[in-house]
Amino acid sequence: MTEIMGMSQVNEVCEALKKRIGCEFVALALQNEVGPDVRWHYASGNLNDKYKRITVRFGKGVAGKIISSGSPMMLIDFPNDIYGKVTDHPIMLAEKLVSCYAVPIFFNSLPKGALLVGKREKYTFSEDDQEMVQDAALELEQILQNQNIG
Amino acid sequence: MKYSASRNQIGSYIIQAQEEEIKRISLELHEGVGQNLFSILTGLKLVESGINEEQYKNYLHEMTQLIEKTMQEIRLLSVELYPPALITLGLLPAIKSYIKVYTSTFGILVELSSTGEEKHIPEQNSIAVFRVCQEALANIAKYADTSNVKLGLSWSNCELKITIFDFGKGFQKEDLEKNPYALGIATMKERMLLTGGQCEISSKIGEGTSIEISLPI
Repeated sequence: MTEIMGMSQVNEVCEALKKRIGCEFVALALQNEVGPDVRWHYASGNLNDKYKRITVRFGKGVAGKIISSGSPMMLIDFPNDIYGKVTDHPIMLAEKLVSCYAVPIFFNSLPKGALLVGKREKYTFSEDDQEMVQDAALELEQILQNQNIG
Repeated sequence: MKYSASRNQIGSYIIQAQEEEIKRISLELHEGVGQNLFSILTGLKLVESGINEEQYKNYLHEMTQLIEKTMQEIRLLSVELYPPALITLGLLPAIKSYIKVYTSTFGILVELSSTGEEKHIPEQNSIAVFRVCQEALANIAKYADTSNVKLGLSWSNCELKITIFDFGKGFQKEDLEKNPYALGIATMKERMLLTGGQCEISSKIGEGTSIEISLPI
């Protein structure tokens, strides 16, 4: 996989999104070019480098559910009121996130990744916030497709 | 005394029955569902190679990828439920295999060491030790706020000792009483007691938590 972490356009979109929403964490998960694995390829506002070693499990956690369903997802007060086990949400645990909103990243009309914004406090992402994440995801799709990633 | 003995027997029976059921589901997933998915995958790949229309070829390719993902998930779920290496290769390979999955799930690095010659342990006891290690590592991922763990096994002629140290934020015993983590610790201790072994936990704020498991061989 091309090094996404060093791509300035991806960095600009994610940093701008982080600033506009006022969140503490932004991350991008993408399916590997070969094989079914999905990994976190970019993170900003991270507390550690655990995200680099995490392989997103299909259908598990925020990113896994988004990629398997193709729909956005929000957690307001992790680990309360979640579906499944606490350990099914490794990125929330690794980054001590309490709330997050994530949307799918599509390539050729198929969900191949996820863009996630998170806060380390209880929070409900407003419709405006959700729209901003969606717009950023579309921008990222374009950037990554231009780079032949996805 | 009599009551205590029967209570222990019941506890042991419940755990054993539960483990048998978990093992059955795990094998069914791996040998049944997993094998069927593999057959479907092989069939779809064959169909894919015989199709010329680009549109259908792409569609079939996406389907095979989805099946591959599902197979991987079934495999992980099956191993998570009951590690096959525990029956075929023993405790140490099963722990090694679990650690790989653990690091790729939580991003936490585990430094594993083993001293002495590995001895044969009855399945009932090795699954108990494995479950306690699994619970300890899951608790570390949930509460310890750490990126590194040390897990050491020490084999002697009459005993296996396992030490897990997490370099995490640690906790105070008083806080533990209000925490759901306490129930997990009690279960770990109870499980080891039923095998004739022990499980001791100590923690220091800012330094980390240590879990020491011992099992007579």
